[in-house]
Amino acid sequence: MASKGGKQSRSASGLSCRKGAGDQEEEEQPLQAVLVADSFNRRFFPVTKDQPRALLPLGNVAMIDYTLEFLTSTGVQETFVFCCWMASKIKAHLQKSKWCRPSSPNTVHIITSDLYRSLGDVLRDVDAKSLVRSDFILVYGDVVSNIDISQALQEHRHRRKMDKNISVMTMIFKESSPGHRSRCEEDDVIVAVDSKSQQILHYQKTQGLKKLQFPMNIFHSGSEEFEIRHDLLDSHISICSPQVAELFTDNFDYQTRDDFVRGLLVNEEILGNQIHVHVTQDGYGVRVSNLLMYDSVSSDLVRRWVYPLTPEANFTDQEGHSCTYSRHNVYRASGVSLGHGSQMEENVLIGCDTSIGANCYISNSVIGDNCIIGDNVVLDHAYIWNHVHIASNVEIIQSVICNKAEVKEGVTLKKQCVLAYDVVIGPNISLPEGTVVSMHHPEEEEEDDDEFLSDDAEVGQRSDKTKQKVFNPAEVGAEGKGYIWKASSLDDTEEEELSQCLWGLVLNPDPESDSEDSDTDDPDDPVIPSPEMDDVKVFHMEVLGTLQRGLEENISCDNLVLEINSLKYAYNISLKEVMQILTRVVLEYPFQQQGTHLTPSQYVTLLLPKWAPVFKNYVKRAQDHLDCLSAFEEHFLEQESHWAAMVKVLMNMYELEILEEEMILRWFSQGATSDKSRQLRKNQGLQKFIQWLEEAEESSEEDGE
Amino acid sequence: MELQAVLMAAGGGSRMTDLTYNTPKAMLPVGNKPLMWYPLNLLEKVGFEEVIVITTKEVQKAMSTDLKIKDVKMKLDVVSIQEDGDMGTADALRHIQPKIKTDILVLSCDLITDVALHEVVDLFRAHNATMAMLMSKAHEFTETVPGQKGKKKTAEQRDFVGVDKSGKRLLFMANEADLEDGLSIRKSIMRKHPRMLIKTGLVDAHLYCLKKAVVDFLTENKSISSIRGELVPYLVRKQFSKTASASNPLLFLHLFLFWCPELLISSRDEPLLQLAQERSCWNDHRGDMSEAYHGGKLRCYVHIMDQGLCCRVNTLAAYIEVNRLAPKLFEEPSVHPSADISERCQMGSDSIIGAVCHIADKTSIKRSTIGNFTTVKEKVKVTNSIIMHGVTIEEGCNIQGSVICSNAVIGRGADLKYCLVGNGQHIEPEGVNVCVWYLFISAKCLSQLGKFLHSQV
Repeated sequence: MASKGGKQSRSASGLSCRKGAGDQEEEEQPLQAVLVADSFNRRFFPVTKDQPRALLPLGNVAMIDYTLEFLTSTGVQETFVFCCWMASKIKAHLQKSKWCRPSSPNTVHIITSDLYRSLGDVLRDVDAKSLVRSDFILVYGDVVSNIDISQALQEHRHRRKMDKNISVMTMIFKESSPGHRSRCEEDDVIVAVDSKSQQILHYQKTQGLKKLQFPMNIFHSGSEEFEIRHDLLDSHISICSPQVAELFTDNFDYQTRDDFVRGLLVNEEILGNQIHVHVTQDGYGVRVSNLLMYDSVSSDLVRRWVYPLTPEANFTDQEGHSCTYSRHNVYRASGVSLGHGSQMEENVLIGCDTSIGANCYISNSVIGDNCIIGDNVVLDHAYIWNHVHIASNVEIIQSVICNKAEVKEGVTLKKQCVLAYDVVIGPNISLPEGTVVSMHHPEEEEEDDDEFLSDDAEVGQRSDKTKQKVFNPAEVGAEGKGYIWKASSLDDTEEEELSQCLWGLVLNPDPESDSEDSDTDDPDDPVIPSPEMDDVKVFHMEVLGTLQRGLEENISCDNLVLEINSLKYAYNISLKEVMQILTRVVLEYPFQQQGTHLTPSQYVTLLLPKWAPVFKNYVKRAQDHLDCLSAFEEHFLEQESHWAAMVKVLMNMYELEILEEEMILRWFSQGATSDKSRQLRKNQGLQKFIQWLEEAEESSEEDGE
Repeated sequence: MELQAVLMAAGGGSRMTDLTYNTPKAMLPVGNKPLMWYPLNLLEKVGFEEVIVITTKEVQKAMSTDLKIKDVKMKLDVVSIQEDGDMGTADALRHIQPKIKTDILVLSCDLITDVALHEVVDLFRAHNATMAMLMSKAHEFTETVPGQKGKKKTAEQRDFVGVDKSGKRLLFMANEADLEDGLSIRKSIMRKHPRMLIKTGLVDAHLYCLKKAVVDFLTENKSISSIRGELVPYLVRKQFSKTASASNPLLFLHLFLFWCPELLISSRDEPLLQLAQERSCWNDHRGDMSEAYHGGKLRCYVHIMDQGLCCRVNTLAAYIEVNRLAPKLFEEPSVHPSADISERCQMGSDSIIGAVCHIADKTSIKRSTIGNFTTVKEKVKVTNSIIMHGVTIEEGCNIQGSVICSNAVIGRGADLKYCLVGNGQHIEPEGVNVCVWYLFISAKCLSQLGKFLHSQV
């Protein structure tokens, strides 16, 4: 990151100059922005059951205020705030704020509807109401940023002027290496851009991927230099042309911006719409998309990375919110009282009228207004909102405590705990890592879970039900009030867990899983036969039928392959399964024809020679060989009586050049997973065969990679 | 001696057989100097005293008589290999392995460049690299090529070269032909080098610095036969393969079976260097906090020239282009002192006349190269052409944009435009002007042409 000094001067000048620059372009329409004050997900549940995400305090200021300040300082003159979940609260907040004063340079219109379910709905509404007249900025209500987007805006307009209406969107990214604290693991993207034009050619979320694939057509644009960037952090700020709203209307299946980007890139050749990037190196722009991000953005804010948006700046212009700034980034609002022997180590922000007892140790924490904190309290990375009571001898590490919660004596909160509104904990209890406590019962949420994907599920009606349920003193303490929401982990599928998990993914997942074997085939990919689905069974039967018919009617192998391929598509069978099924069908075939008593030699002659070309068509890559061999193994594990024939079959397959010796050796050396398969490998014939192969290999001095 | 230089001069010039039919590629005259003189000169200029030249018997013989090569002051250790032995460049290296005592600098005889060689070698030194190579922006050929109607689209597949942010570390290399299913990069590489530049318009200059260990590795791994085709991609790929971890027995087995050679290369890092790296706070990357080079021992670097001349003479088009450009690299008198040039001859300053040439009256020579022992008779016009050694051009010929190989005889009044005349061929003297448009006149088709011409007269 650049030095703070440089940023300060830039941003400070930006604030004052930008308006002047705006006036000069008299022909230009006033810059508009669309602010989406809803996340359309439940990541912050249960906290957002009581307060919409945009109003959650970050450094004692509601998040939406940061976004509005950012927009205003970039020169936006008209902002449309779209609210859905708890719209009335947001509306009330905004009407009280400086944004709705007549002196505000940025006119804020609040548009509320219960019907918005996604960003797509919002933008379709923008189009329907034809709110935007020219390029506009699209941003979420939980973005904290000081990026100077005037340059990006200029580039965007220039591009639009140069070739009419081709570039529809400029996405703003911040440079940030992988592993950086403020990087959101869920937003981990890989972007391929054309170095010269900065046009996005490929955009992909990389979470959970090992290999990144780039289709070749993106390299055919005539450019000679491309950049593949993994060091970008999506700021969730984008400059959009009016067409964006139209495109959302045209494509009613676009829900999120990712859908939009993906759709545009895929259809680029047809529609000719392009998306560009603007990468900023020294600005700050992050979306608070989970609590981990909340943690890192809060610390960045306190450490003044978001200058000029600092806690003491009181940019929201609220009375009584000014605070003093002293060294080690300690901020104290008015009326703070600090007991004897209490230490504020560093990066601490304390709201007004908060009193702290004696011998406390506070570091890297934010404490809201009107809190009362007892003696001997240890706070580290604690985010304590307003009106919270914390008794003595409490230890809180990396946790969030919402308004009016109460922590009784002797409580320990381990990492990543969340106490939602009005919860009471303790006394003398220790909450394990990742505990979430709320006054809302988790079940009440689950019930309306299915119907709505948005924040705005109608809750609160079931208070009668809630009352019947009792608080569990073992969980929340003897005097505790609240329900445990998430006991560490849910056994859900990954997708669901992601949407449930408040804290988000851990920043540095174990150095991985990025198994680095360089060979193109992944040798330690376990060969797991996929669970037999109905389709697979049907496919099995069909293949058997096809082969049988082929034999009876003497159909050529080419045609058989064709038929199997079309079956493969009809039943949506993966190539691997095709391999396995084909192998099994061929191996089982003799039994079905002749009954189970066959001599090994008969078995072999019946088998392969005829279908060798079919096999050859499918067994090509190394993985195919292994798949084929594993199916082969599976078959013989079931038919123990035919082990004698096994070697012959293997030999046959080798001689027909269906299988390569290297692969057979590999299968032999590594494939043993169960006792029985180990036993199978001890089979004398097989051992001999392998030995023979090994010798052959040595003599040919073949030592591939 | 830090580096041993190895010059690969055994190539047959398979992509320009018309020129190399009688003259081996290494001896093709470029600006009246044999092609291989250029890389030798490059080496001599930077102070090499000894060069191992791998070549064929034929070239070796030609070298011993060539005046220019005799001028080379370096000690040439000529190793000849069998011409038809189908030996690749890596095979050749393997062949001379006993001579290799230190790290090596391998270059090809068809490279003409004015690169500051230290750029490549410095990369090699600074990063203790396993390999450092030279690339340059692809050259656009502007001249019309004889025998080709119009501009031929280069059908060759593009190379995709991935380098890191600094543009030096080589991360990825593949040919378009191998990327049918799309370009695939492991995420772990992107984590280490989050900003990768993929460049396509580059040509490999075939100049490599290689660690001695790589040569030793070659002797043990006989399946690799070409440096460019196999060894380099292998090294680039291996940079990011997992280093030995014996914890997983299955993996260990794999290591044994497949990765033995890789161990060999990396294990020769000198312990002192390693110590230096541990004790220093220098790092090659920013962003994450891991050690320099992420602990990888195998490192490949590339120097990409963005200006200056760097050309490989492996096609006819490149040959013509280079004949135009190469002489500008050296400040030598364009007319050899032993040439006999008539006073009444129009000669452009951009032409080169070789030794013992006879240029008669009323000739005009523009933008052309005329080889040694060549006779140009009266009223001949030569523009934009390359005339090799020992050629006789009779009166009144008009030669334009053509290449005329050694010992050819051009009959009176011939009119050649964009032609290629093969070695030792005779173009019949004709009263009528013979106009041969866009034609190859090489050994193969000359007899037919002769018949054709006779029937015309």
